[in-house]
Amino acid sequence: MTLAQEGDPRAFEILYDRHSGAAFSLAYRMVGNRVAAEDISQEAFLSIWRSRLRYRADRGSVRTWVLGIVHHRAIDALRRNLVHERRRTSAEGLEERQEAPELTDVEVVRRDEARQVRSAIGTLPPEQSRVVELAYFGGFTHSQIAEMLKTPIGTVKGRMRLGLEKLRRELVEQVA
Amino acid sequence: MARDHERHADDPAAYLLGALSELERQAFERHLMGCSTCGEELDHLRPATEALPRSVSPLRPSEALKSSVMEVVEREAAEREQPSRPRAAATGIRTRLRALVPSLTGRGPVVAWVSASFLLAIGLALGAVGTSLLSDDGARTLAARVDPVRVPEATGSLSVSNDQGRGAILRVNGMPSLPSREVYQVWVRRSGETVSQSIFSVGETGAGAAAVTDDLEGADSVLVTREPAGGARAPSGKPVVSVGL
Repeated sequence: MTLAQEGDPRAFEILYDRHSGAAFSLAYRMVGNRVAAEDISQEAFLSIWRSRLRYRADRGSVRTWVLGIVHHRAIDALRRNLVHERRRTSAEGLEERQEAPELTDVEVVRRDEARQVRSAIGTLPPEQSRVVELAYFGGFTHSQIAEMLKTPIGTVKGRMRLGLEKLRRELVEQVA
Repeated sequence: MARDHERHADDPAAYLLGALSELERQAFERHLMGCSTCGEELDHLRPATEALPRSVSPLRPSEALKSSVMEVVEREAAEREQPSRPRAAATGIRTRLRALVPSLTGRGPVVAWVSASFLLAIGLALGAVGTSLLSDDGARTLAARVDPVRVPEATGSLSVSNDQGRGAILRVNGMPSLPSREVYQVWVRRSGETVSQSIFSVGETGAGAAAVTDDLEGADSVLVTREPAGGARAPSGKPVVSVGL
């Protein structure tokens, strides 16, 4: 990361190779089509390249920083209605995965990790997991979620907090 | 605990999930600067939100994506290393801008709506792009200060002609795109008064450029604010980008 911060394109390429899969996967999960997900990923990585001096190791890992930027860009795109195609269902997402049956070792580890985190999310009460998913992956504001679910805004925010707290406890227990 | 904590007590989780509107996010971040309770809540819940992207099954982007990203990265890295290019003629930025863009009259609020790509084309026509515009005649390139809360990923610079202090070009990167009802507006501040220069939008990568056509001699700073579409007669809020002169 230090070399990338110094403006070394080769170092940035390594950063890209390490994190582009996770970045693209998150963008795709949020916007539901490959073209839009690649646009968002490109925006994000160019933003990372141009703002590379802003990364601070004491604020979190490089991956966390990268995915935070991707998440922010994807939300922007969703809220500006730039993603016009209907989002894919999880079944279509399954087709995408089947296009690349030969996974690298890293991808196998990532897939197992994804199952564990999804399992932790699965322990949340449905009303909590629903608002967390709508917010984080759907890009909806708490006001929009409240309207969609016909639920008071305060209740939506409360479910977000309770959902994240429970998820945190589940993840800690998994590690233990 | 900050005085308005009660108003924001339920915001940390929504903030981490990205579920606050833009205005709410800005208000919460201002509140956060003085509220340790909310800060601690964020730290407590952050591991859970950081886990959410890990729940997504891994997919591979195309090789074309990498090619397009690295093409820009390598070009910008090379431009940083390039020596200054000589200028063809010693004329001020303002004169050449007017020759190419007759609508830039300097009367405010300036209504010249220029896209990033158009002004970059001007830069190319003038013989230089990036940090070396007019650099061989003593022109200055000044780094901009950005609001770390509202435009955390932005960078900017002002290339000021050495031709009797007239005219400059402001360039920005990493700026958030605005909804269609808003624009970025450029101002020159002098002795407490602000005069509008131009309005501009940014491309998908957050890059933009704008002309500063007024004589900058004696000016204190160049500012960028967010304004309603069409521009405003006076800045409506604090600048997101500023360059001290």
